[in-house]
Amino acid sequence: MEKKNGNTSLITSNQLRWFYYLVPVAALIIPFVANEYLLWIVNAILVYTLVTVGFNIIIGNLGQLAFANTAFFGIGAYTSAILMVYGGVPYTLSILMSAIVGGLAGFLASVTALRGIRLYYLAIITLAFGELMRWVYLHGDDVTKGSDGLRIPDDIFFLGIPLDSEVPKFFVFLLLAVLLVKATSNLMRSRIGRAIVAIRENEATTASLGIHTARYIVLAFVWSGSVVGVAGAMFAVLTERVLPEAFGLTEVIIHFGMVLVGGTGSIVGSVIGAITLTTLPEYFRQFPGMDELFFGIIIVLVLLFLPKGIVSLLWRISPAFKERYYRD
Amino acid sequence: MDIFLQLTLSGLSQGAIFALIALSLTVVYRATTIVNFGHGDFVMAGAFFVYVLVIYVELPYVFAAISAVLIMLGMGLGVSRGFIDPIKAGPHIGFAMMSISLGYVLRGGARFLWGREVFPMPRVFDIEPFFIGNLVVTGDVLFISAIVAVFLLIFFFIFYRTTTGVIIQAVYQSERGATLIGVNVRAFHQSMWGVGLAMGALAGILIAPISLLHPDLGATFLIRGFAAMTLGGFGSLGGAVVGGLLLGVAEQLFGFYINSSLQDITAYLIIVAVLVIRPAGLFGRTVTVRV
Amino acid sequence: MEPLLKVQGLSVNFSGLKALSDVTFDSFAGEVRAVIGPNGAGKTTLFNAISGYVPSTAGQIFFKGEPLHGLAPHDISVKGVRRTFQTGGLFPEMSALENVLAGLHVQIESGFFGIVLGLAEAREAEREGILRAKRLLDLMDLGAAAEQPVKDLSGGQQRMVEIVRTLATEPPLLLLDEPVVGLSPPMRDRMMDIIRRLAGEEGIGIMLIEHVIDLVMSGSDTIVVLSSGELIAEGTPEEVRQNREVLEAYLGHA
Repeated sequence: MEKKNGNTSLITSNQLRWFYYLVPVAALIIPFVANEYLLWIVNAILVYTLVTVGFNIIIGNLGQLAFANTAFFGIGAYTSAILMVYGGVPYTLSILMSAIVGGLAGFLASVTALRGIRLYYLAIITLAFGELMRWVYLHGDDVTKGSDGLRIPDDIFFLGIPLDSEVPKFFVFLLLAVLLVKATSNLMRSRIGRAIVAIRENEATTASLGIHTARYIVLAFVWSGSVVGVAGAMFAVLTERVLPEAFGLTEVIIHFGMVLVGGTGSIVGSVIGAITLTTLPEYFRQFPGMDELFFGIIIVLVLLFLPKGIVSLLWRISPAFKERYYRD
Repeated sequence: MDIFLQLTLSGLSQGAIFALIALSLTVVYRATTIVNFGHGDFVMAGAFFVYVLVIYVELPYVFAAISAVLIMLGMGLGVSRGFIDPIKAGPHIGFAMMSISLGYVLRGGARFLWGREVFPMPRVFDIEPFFIGNLVVTGDVLFISAIVAVFLLIFFFIFYRTTTGVIIQAVYQSERGATLIGVNVRAFHQSMWGVGLAMGALAGILIAPISLLHPDLGATFLIRGFAAMTLGGFGSLGGAVVGGLLLGVAEQLFGFYINSSLQDITAYLIIVAVLVIRPAGLFGRTVTVRV
Repeated sequence: MEPLLKVQGLSVNFSGLKALSDVTFDSFAGEVRAVIGPNGAGKTTLFNAISGYVPSTAGQIFFKGEPLHGLAPHDISVKGVRRTFQTGGLFPEMSALENVLAGLHVQIESGFFGIVLGLAEAREAEREGILRAKRLLDLMDLGAAAEQPVKDLSGGQQRMVEIVRTLATEPPLLLLDEPVVGLSPPMRDRMMDIIRRLAGEEGIGIMLIEHVIDLVMSGSDTIVVLSSGELIAEGTPEEVRQNREVLEAYLGHA
């Protein structure tokens, strides 16, 4: 589309669309140039991309201070692991179940929001919910194996592909990430996505446009829960052992940080946040405390100097990077 | 019955610390409408300063404690001025993340400086336990309860019986009104951050001698502070105290009479139960969030 | 003529205080009906009650013969009674186009699965919506501002965007809460022109709250006067001008 007001723009939104499709295609060369460890990090980035995209729907688009997403993540991971370990359920099917159970958890969280528990109350009750889930994992010894964690089986297949090393995991994760990010983008750039953002902007007047606000609050939470649930199922395979500590308060902070550092309400921002906060702290992990120190400082700096996230740097290159809630 | 009383007593002394944390969160929240999600780490920092000053600088405990409170008071002013004021125009999500991140920096700093160990602190309140009837009273229980009780008396005296307190209450009621009578709201916010963190540090100082210190100490206390606030009524000063004491007792009783593993999650169960059944808590005004 | 809106014996209490008591009137298609009255007379409460934002204590509201009382705001909106707000009705971070698109929400017929999967049908429905929204914005000379977040627009443009957003679905009845407040005199006249045209040419029933008496006298067909929650007069501008009670209500509060 043409830019009005003489906005200088190096990239038009049409070119940008191609760029978006090129990224996953270009990513296909990664397994040929990266070693197992680097590939593991790339796979982790793919998992966290979905975590962040899902979380961002609640924080950025719907504008609710709900921290239940780490719980959705854990619920997704444990759902998949338990089904595979005890039910012999194929991985492909267990991913679907993680999406469904994650969505149910999202529904539960949305009910509290609909009961008028908002802002800090919502933040605190969702934090408590996450910690209660962690307690269940820790004390559900018979099923979850407590703090030892639940080891997933060695022979995991995705549609016949054995996931026995990082390379096949990469292709499967890339596929899942691209599909879900695209689907989320479709959703957010439609009348549904607009209704969700409208609720963030002004819930009362949204209803005056005939928009059933409760329905879209539920939808946002359920979709977020499902996407993050799938991420959980991926995480189970990535780490091969599902541990309660992986879903604690520290992880809530990391996930929240990814959303804010990348950019609230922006899908591109979510990807940037996942990349930044997966790789950088990984580098500093060798020194105790440095990863946290570094992580905290990055977020503080972003909050002070880039309140719209790192993605706002891209806006200077082209306004086409700004999140829009429709598609030409 | 003896067991019940004994549990109640140790619950109350635990609860006194939760009350202090909840109260310090409330002081900041009432003044600025910001909930300090990094408060647990500030409490931890207070405890660590005491540890450093006692072990490395070899200050007597009392002086170390006073210094730590003053350091955290200054930190509160600095946080408000340097990190909260600049993002004032932004949404609440930014405040939440800012406070979390600052806490994270403190935690990372503590871990960086001390590695991954846990530290025993020399016992300070080391007196012989004595009996009241069949009740055992240890030095810890006695000192913590006494110090918190004295502090609360001073706090509520200042708040309800002095001019300063009246002014603070006035600003809580209406910032615009306060500006009209010449109160500098910005300075007020800063000092309330200072007071809040100093009170948190006091809690940290009391925790330090009775528990092992480690950088992750804060999280558990933060959630307990939230639970105490929620139970007492979010934003109510007296409620924070009562909520903290009740939470301390509830943890002991749940842990003993129902299941010891329940002690860890009493706080979470209370948060969920209160918010679902009666979001206003015991003493809060009815919360009406416009939907 | 069958009335578009029938308000019968409408009362609204706020914790014992009577905000509206026993208000009865009819409103018709193609008519501009102004609601006036001193501050606190219950004008906005009347709009809130009709549009479902506050529950009525007693009385009934019918739109095209169907009851509105007891319905939720979004249901009332879907039935064809749409409203604007005195302040802050827009979605500030969204662009003008997105605001209008949100207004078209119920008319864009794309289903959840069609949207998620990016099916042609859903995309077509979205595309039609976008075209319509752009056309509406162009019609009001807002085409150039379509891409900007509405918080960056002038006060007048914001008012226009809100009216376009509310009108987008062509509702039979429009409730405008102080549509010209904060506008410059030329913008005011233009807005009143547009309002008159919507009623005259499109046959939309319009109710509006307004304080500037000159505009009300020249721009409306019928006036409803509220005072302390009661309807004290109803009639043409001429009739209301000569009504004793109205004068007293105004002078009494002045």
